[in-house]
Amino acid sequence: MSRIGSGSKGIWILLFLMGGSIGSLSAQVDSPQLSPAEIIDKVDQMLRGDSSQGRVEMAVVTRRWKRNVMMEIWSEGTDKALIKVLQPKKEAGMTTLKVGSDMWNYLPKIDRTIRIPTSMMMASWMGSHFTNDDLVKESRLIRDYDIEIVYEGDREGVEVYEFLLTPHPKAPVVWGKMLYQVRKKDLMPIRAEYYDENEELKRTLTFSEYREMGGRLVPTKSRMVPQDKPEEYTEMIYHELRFDIPIPQGTFSLSSLRR
Amino acid sequence: MIVLRLGWRNLWRNPRRSLITISAVGCGYAILIVLIGLTVGIAGQMLKNGTGLLMGDLQLHHSGYLPERSLYDTIGSDEDSALEGVLHQLSLYPQLVGRSPRVYGFGLLSTGEHSAGARLMGVDPQVEVRVSSFLSGLQAGALDDSVERSLLLGDVLARELEATIGSQVAIVTQAADGSLGNDLFLVSGILHTGLSYLDRSLAVLYLEDLQELLALGPDEVHEIAVRLEDPMDADGFAAQLNASEELPANISARSWGELAPQLKDYVSLAQGMYGFIILIIGLFTAMGVLNTMMMAVFERSREIGLVLALGMRPLLIVSAILLESLFLGILGLIGGFGLGAWGMSYLTTQGLDLSRWMGELSMLGTRIDPVLKASWGWDYVLWSALGLLLATLLAAFFPAVKAARLNPVQALSAPVEG
Repeated sequence: MSRIGSGSKGIWILLFLMGGSIGSLSAQVDSPQLSPAEIIDKVDQMLRGDSSQGRVEMAVVTRRWKRNVMMEIWSEGTDKALIKVLQPKKEAGMTTLKVGSDMWNYLPKIDRTIRIPTSMMMASWMGSHFTNDDLVKESRLIRDYDIEIVYEGDREGVEVYEFLLTPHPKAPVVWGKMLYQVRKKDLMPIRAEYYDENEELKRTLTFSEYREMGGRLVPTKSRMVPQDKPEEYTEMIYHELRFDIPIPQGTFSLSSLRR
Repeated sequence: MIVLRLGWRNLWRNPRRSLITISAVGCGYAILIVLIGLTVGIAGQMLKNGTGLLMGDLQLHHSGYLPERSLYDTIGSDEDSALEGVLHQLSLYPQLVGRSPRVYGFGLLSTGEHSAGARLMGVDPQVEVRVSSFLSGLQAGALDDSVERSLLLGDVLARELEATIGSQVAIVTQAADGSLGNDLFLVSGILHTGLSYLDRSLAVLYLEDLQELLALGPDEVHEIAVRLEDPMDADGFAAQLNASEELPANISARSWGELAPQLKDYVSLAQGMYGFIILIIGLFTAMGVLNTMMMAVFERSREIGLVLALGMRPLLIVSAILLESLFLGILGLIGGFGLGAWGMSYLTTQGLDLSRWMGELSMLGTRIDPVLKASWGWDYVLWSALGLLLATLLAAFFPAVKAARLNPVQALSAPVEG
């Protein structure tokens, strides 16, 4: 029961969007003898660069409201990230810091830094369809899941791999299984489907607009749609990305939150 | 009239036996009064604590609000259900003691070092105290309108946050417009309700402050809690409101019985128990009376035979015996009432103090006072008196009929009583 965390996927998505060592990818695409886990590991690893910095627009659409938030993101390795809201004005300066499995929010209006307690990990992050936990969990897919290829071939004119990911019995993830579709030619992710323990589809993440950014091919847009509210979604759109840049010392510290 | 006199006189032919029977009836009745009093008292206390602390006798919500309690399903969210109009309509009902609009939310509270999730409740303390008692039972302080953004915390929550009166607490919550509502509040009071789930999670704010934090309009509330003169009217009143043309159709009223079915079950159970107690004690009393009257008839079979032989109508004999038993019952009831009333006068004022054994206790999500106070359940007291009288009459009926059927010849030849 204590499978806290809306899945290792979240940070993957986010860190993926944050960039990674994607450039090294094309060289490996033509290695057909790789095992499913090795392929996923490559995708997984390419999502995590040494460091990255970028500007991303988050568009959240719900039944009640719609809003766009512009954010600046810094990341280093797998476990450090800083996300700062640039717009709208009302929320500008709100900052989320993640170090390892800890997470803090800085709220400029009241000039307070608040640590997110475990009990709030499943709550929505910044009103989006991601949870705080999605940002914090940094487990690697190959560590938490058994991976097998369930389909290899043509899907709507694109050669793809389809992976079935089943969590190890004690892995700290909430998903019962995951279906993951990756483009064969360049290992670009196409879609990920998240199923609960009753094998019911809970949410779908789709990637699109693959473009060169920061010298690498990346899906610059991804959209998370919850299954129970198909009219709602959260979209992450990359406007700017830089990879493997030097990040100033102390960026991922509580004292940098206020800056 | 002769029958009356006959019955009365017969009663005192064996005063000791009659007195014993009378006191048996009396004791039975006194025990009944006290037991009923305690049961009514506990049920009343549970109802009072259950509905009085927070719930109210009934609640009004936007019809989509329960059970999900979505932030958006507010009374006043559309023109059809303007809050002012609803409040005004409610105040027209004379049986209504108070009505209090409330806003709810869920937020993260933080004092810097410590954070905890809490249930946020926005109220107007002026009207809230007419509906519920949780604000009057404050351990310390009160909502304070002289400071900006005053806040009350449950005592366990306050301890968890290490907050005391005067502490600043940041509240962060998901607002209705999708933004992250956040503000600083000043702890100006500590709540203790005795219900651990509230003391652990409740944070009370001014209605306007919470509306602002949640980005709700000033006319948007999640709930209107209503207090009535008599909680037992709640079902009827809720039905009346739901059928009323005056109230918007998208607002639904629910009585405490619907909101807390377990409380309703308990009250019905308690009512069922009165009946059972009356039955048991009635049965025992009836057996005592039966015994007495059998004896009386047996002793008097010679003289009954004589009057039958002299031509007295059997019906008259039956009536005399029934009346004798009735007198027995009435005298017993009078004495029993005196005894019971004496017991009740203690139990209604002092109560039965169980605190030594149970301390603070809650049951079915309701706090139980460790001092059990009885209260008069007059209908039940009356019904049990009638029940006991009926039992004594029924008990006398069999001996009476037996007496009337005596064969005069046999009866007269029986040995003379000693």
